[in-house]
Amino acid sequence: MGILTGAMTLRRFRVEGELPGGWREIVRERLAEMAFREPVGGARDEELEGWVRVDDLLDTSFADPAGWLVHPWVVFALRVDKKSLPRNLVKATVAQEVRAWCLERGVERCPASERKRILEELEDRWYARQLPRVQTVEVAWHVVDGFALIGTTGEKMTDRVRTRFHRTFGLELHPWSPIDSLITPGLASSLLATAPFAGGQP
Amino acid sequence: MSADATPFPPHLSSEFLLWLWWRSERDRTRFDLPDPVGPIEGIVEDRLAFRPPGGDKATAVLTGENPTATLEARAALAGGKVLHDLRVMFKRDDREYALQLGGPRLDVRALKVPKLPTETSEEALRDRLDRYEEFHLILTGLFAAFAEERASSRWRDEVVPALRRWARPQPGEA
Repeated sequence: MGILTGAMTLRRFRVEGELPGGWREIVRERLAEMAFREPVGGARDEELEGWVRVDDLLDTSFADPAGWLVHPWVVFALRVDKKSLPRNLVKATVAQEVRAWCLERGVERCPASERKRILEELEDRWYARQLPRVQTVEVAWHVVDGFALIGTTGEKMTDRVRTRFHRTFGLELHPWSPIDSLITPGLASSLLATAPFAGGQP
Repeated sequence: MSADATPFPPHLSSEFLLWLWWRSERDRTRFDLPDPVGPIEGIVEDRLAFRPPGGDKATAVLTGENPTATLEARAALAGGKVLHDLRVMFKRDDREYALQLGGPRLDVRALKVPKLPTETSEEALRDRLDRYEEFHLILTGLFAAFAEERASSRWRDEVVPALRRWARPQPGEA
């Protein structure tokens, strides 16, 4: 997105609903509750997500407001970790291990339960040694005027941020429309009633 | 999650971009917008992308030096294509904002905001967000000016005929 540096690519959203008084504490608590958490033990989860500080994807401490509050903006980022195994390699390796299992026992067929065990053990081993693909999407929320910027124009990631924002704060993000900025009475409805002229061409 | 967005018909996005381009050429880049924006400059830069009227993806992209002056640009319009996005620069006082503007909801891509000297990272962030807000003010001011014309009888009586004359490929254009 480039909230911190670089060029900005973003979408703007209206924040529907209001935070109660004492919102700083509420925002701090909820960001912490829904922060990114490293997987414990077997890292098999294919996707993990949670909030991190906007300036450091490894930092999930929101105790100090200096890390997320630039009044009236609240800034943070969604971190999404994804692991995926090469399915063709998994399939071929499982087939190889199944053949070895059959050869060792002098049988022609491997039971489905054994095939499943081989697959799960393989996935556990491979997921554990695989690094995730890590994406972050920045969010800047103007808590006074009730809008937020999400640092992507991709639908899938935008929806992911909106869903987590709602789960975190109980507030909905609705896509901003240029129509929202029109203050002349009746202008918005007149504009919406227009039809494309000559198929859109002059 | 509910969409619940204010509707924004895609033809308004392409018509707004066309209006920007046309007005920028007609008024030599100057837009006198009402308060709180005031006078600004708006220049279409080195990218024009077109789509078919019913499509949602760019199918013809013109880049390079001054694509607005090319015969291809006018031919795309004359052939029935509509604008998908533009590379544009706005200037208010001495502050310049360059970006790619377009798509069905007028998405903002690769927006470059002016950089001011700051001492701390917090100041830098606040300054960037302030600059974004100034850009947004310009964008909404321009859109409001477009909306006033688009929803009035001037659009049919004056703007569309002028746009048609302007969009017609001129002999001798590069």
